[in-house]
Amino acid sequence: MTSPGSSPTIAVRQLSKWFGSVVALSDLSFDIGPGVTALLGPNGAGKSTLFRVLCGLANPSQGTVRIFDENPRANPDLTSRIGIAPQQERLFERQTIIEFVRLAATLHHIPDPDRAALLAIETVELDPADPRPLAAYSKGMRQRVKLAQALVGDPDLLVLDEPLEGLDPRQRLRTIELFRRLGDEGKTVVVSSHVLEEVERFGSRILVITQGRLVAEGPFSAIRDLMDDRPHRLRVGTDQPLALAAGLLTTGLVTGARIKDGWIEVETSDSPAFRRSVAVVARDCEARLTEVRALDDDLESVFAYLVGRR
Amino acid sequence: MKATAAPPNFTMATFMTVWKVFVRSIATRLRVAGLSLLGLGAVALGLAIHLSHSANRPNAAWSLVDSFGLSLLIPVVALVFASAALGDVAEDGTLVYLWLRPLPRWQLALGAFGASVTVVVPVAVFPLVVGAAISGGGWRIAGGAAAGGLLATVAYSAVFCGLGLRVRRALAWGLAYLLIWEQAVARVSHGAARASIFINTRSLAAHVAQHPPPTNAVAWTTGLIFPLVVTVVALALTTRSLDRGEIT
Repeated sequence: MTSPGSSPTIAVRQLSKWFGSVVALSDLSFDIGPGVTALLGPNGAGKSTLFRVLCGLANPSQGTVRIFDENPRANPDLTSRIGIAPQQERLFERQTIIEFVRLAATLHHIPDPDRAALLAIETVELDPADPRPLAAYSKGMRQRVKLAQALVGDPDLLVLDEPLEGLDPRQRLRTIELFRRLGDEGKTVVVSSHVLEEVERFGSRILVITQGRLVAEGPFSAIRDLMDDRPHRLRVGTDQPLALAAGLLTTGLVTGARIKDGWIEVETSDSPAFRRSVAVVARDCEARLTEVRALDDDLESVFAYLVGRR
Repeated sequence: MKATAAPPNFTMATFMTVWKVFVRSIATRLRVAGLSLLGLGAVALGLAIHLSHSANRPNAAWSLVDSFGLSLLIPVVALVFASAALGDVAEDGTLVYLWLRPLPRWQLALGAFGASVTVVVPVAVFPLVVGAAISGGGWRIAGGAAAGGLLATVAYSAVFCGLGLRVRRALAWGLAYLLIWEQAVARVSHGAARASIFINTRSLAAHVAQHPPPTNAVAWTTGLIFPLVVTVVALALTTRSLDRGEIT
């Protein structure tokens, strides 16, 4: 992810974090360099905890985190290079958008905080002159306010926790374009998400985290292949379950089959080939095919598979 | 988009910005209105003493300062505002928007402390001084109220700022501390009295008011220095918590 010889923006080694007996992060090691990196994982996977440790908001229980070769806990000055949009929705509710973003600019010691705040607000396509307090803002608008305050210091590292949640489709598209542009400019943009299709559009490297463990990493295409190559479970509806199950087992595409409540549940490692051949087998068995449905296409199943193969 | 940031260090502009955020955060209408009523109680009591035409006005005025102002009004008002200063932003997660900035952590502690003092003085100290002044007990009583009240505000604000950051239910813990330590143990134990903000600030107030030393009084110099030491130590501990603790 980083060019040879150069230091990564983020270097994590054997990082673990636990709260009492609950292990939130377990033995994570990875590097992140410039460009967009997506942190993909289901809710409760440990993404927000990881972000908090990366930004220095929380201490690692074990292991090390280096941001720009420094410990983020030890050096507050480092925060001038980091912009974070946390997941929590709460803002300074009585402030207006310009007050809130200007606050960030002032505390970043930016010489012209008004201008910097205006630019950041315009970047996220909100109205800097909006007189309403932030308490009146919708979830999508709050997401953009959080993004504006993260952008205001023009940081080298952006850490954005579920930044697309609550945005309408058009705003999602514009925000993804913004991330890609920032990545192309050499910024390090780390974005968390639990939506696979969303991450696909970042065109980025992905870290898959679930149950506090890093279960896969690489470019999106490699992760996608990994997910497609896993065994799939499908449910097949037919009026001749016994005959069809026997016929499917002879194709070599099915690694397991069982009949349950009149349905056939099959396991295959090549879902597209199975879908192509099932109709042929049904015709040969003189069975009527009523349904072919994937049982594990949801992301949770993908994550469970990735956890199992580690 | 690029706006070059200056090297991070202390500037009055950033300190004032932090202070304003805390003032705005703690001075909610409900808190200010509710606690101003308590403050106005001091003015009403002072007026009642004045209208009583009693020959014992100086003692009654001192009781107003001691038993109402320094025992109840100022500690409670300081507890509510100071514990909210860092406590509210830590609880709702907005502390992140101050903590993740290139600022020395002591500036956050000092900003929260300053905001609390800024709000407590007009809500509690000023009415107490007005009440003492109009009671007819003499200007020295009002002077004692001002000196003791200001010092108590400073010390309690520093202590309760840290408490709000470190513990949940800071109001309950703060009330327990006020009732058990400040108003019970310190009143009966001479040793404990030396480590009580109430006893120390009351001793200073009595000295300024030229009122006979109250029970368990300490020397006025101790009464002046101890709360200031408590303030410095409490702010240092709050800074340390911001530096080393986990930010929610």
